[in-house]
Amino acid sequence: MSHHLFILSPSDTPIYNLTYSSTKPTPTTISPLSSNLPTWSTSAFAGTLTALSGASSTTQHTTGGGVRIGGGQDRHVIQMIANASLDAVEDVMRKESTMYLKSVDKFNEWTVSAFITPGNTKFVLLHEAKNDEAIKSFFLEVWELYVKTMLNPFYSNQQMIRSSTFDTRVRTSAKKYL
Amino acid sequence: MNSSLDHLSPTTSSARFSLPSKSTSASRPNIYERNLNKSRLSEVSAPSFSFLFSEIVQYTQKRVSGINDLERRLNTLGYRVGSRVLEITAYRAEFSSKAPKREIRLLPALMAIHTQVWRAVYGKPADAIEKSVENVDEYMIIDNDPLIERHISVPRDFAGLSCSSFSAGIVEAVLDGLGFPARVTAHHTPTSTYPTRTTILIKLEKSVLDREDILK
Repeated sequence: MSHHLFILSPSDTPIYNLTYSSTKPTPTTISPLSSNLPTWSTSAFAGTLTALSGASSTTQHTTGGGVRIGGGQDRHVIQMIANASLDAVEDVMRKESTMYLKSVDKFNEWTVSAFITPGNTKFVLLHEAKNDEAIKSFFLEVWELYVKTMLNPFYSNQQMIRSSTFDTRVRTSAKKYL
Repeated sequence: MNSSLDHLSPTTSSARFSLPSKSTSASRPNIYERNLNKSRLSEVSAPSFSFLFSEIVQYTQKRVSGINDLERRLNTLGYRVGSRVLEITAYRAEFSSKAPKREIRLLPALMAIHTQVWRAVYGKPADAIEKSVENVDEYMIIDNDPLIERHISVPRDFAGLSCSSFSAGIVEAVLDGLGFPARVTAHHTPTSTYPTRTTILIKLEKSVLDREDILK
């Protein structure tokens, strides 16, 4: 079961991202759309279409180059889901005063949860299983690490976070909670 | 030339600057290992703060062409401080709570600046917060005796300069972060009892007022 974390600066530039696969088993989710989907394997967009429809259980296609596509696990599909969820996040964050916004958006097997820091930095997490409390604890730890990064006078909030300590620490939290 | 440079360099002139020795800084833990709440109640001495701020003003003044430019630069420096102040004060207030909250309404946000932010930065809340009578989009935070101006007297030919532009920058950063974009300026408004009284004028963008109307 994998998780994808994106940290976005106040102006929505990505400043950190992490893909974490936990050892916990994936709950089987069957998307109603995917079972009704015709096979478009000849189309150039087949992979993306299959992925977008959530056809994670269908057979994997291989196109000319032999690239493995489909399954809703493609990098570009993940990024698109994360970006698309920002609209939902921005709608909710004006009305809700809580920093942790659980399940703001859903896309096939992915649920998107977000955490908005007071300075308007967004943590967006794509996850498959429902696990609210653990995700909240994870976000709080990431927030602490982010605040510490922020306090560095050489860091401005538009820059990528490149600190290896930050990365290690986020991974440790992910292992602990996700 | 060389000797005068030596004099200014902090590493060689131990008389003017007292730097901690190298050995202590090497053993200092990484920022990620330090507890953010540990220094919550620690204070900085006012004289050293004044000294630092006076150096900031002097440094900035050498690099600008006029008063407006000087105020703008102080504002930018304050902005950098403000974005961090916002994040750390909110962290300290909300981290242990069950559902951490952000401020999404304007008035509570202004009150938080008046009390929490001022207390975190200057050790005391600001003296007043007022709403402009003429313009609906203007708010004022008033400090009767701003800490950063306590040892500053502005020369006559610099009329209009307010070094509290630095505080204005802090306020601007906090409002920006919370999603209330505004233009913030500082003005010297002395009274007979408080000769250094300063007004931080907040002019909100129209979008903020529109949103407040909807939320009402």
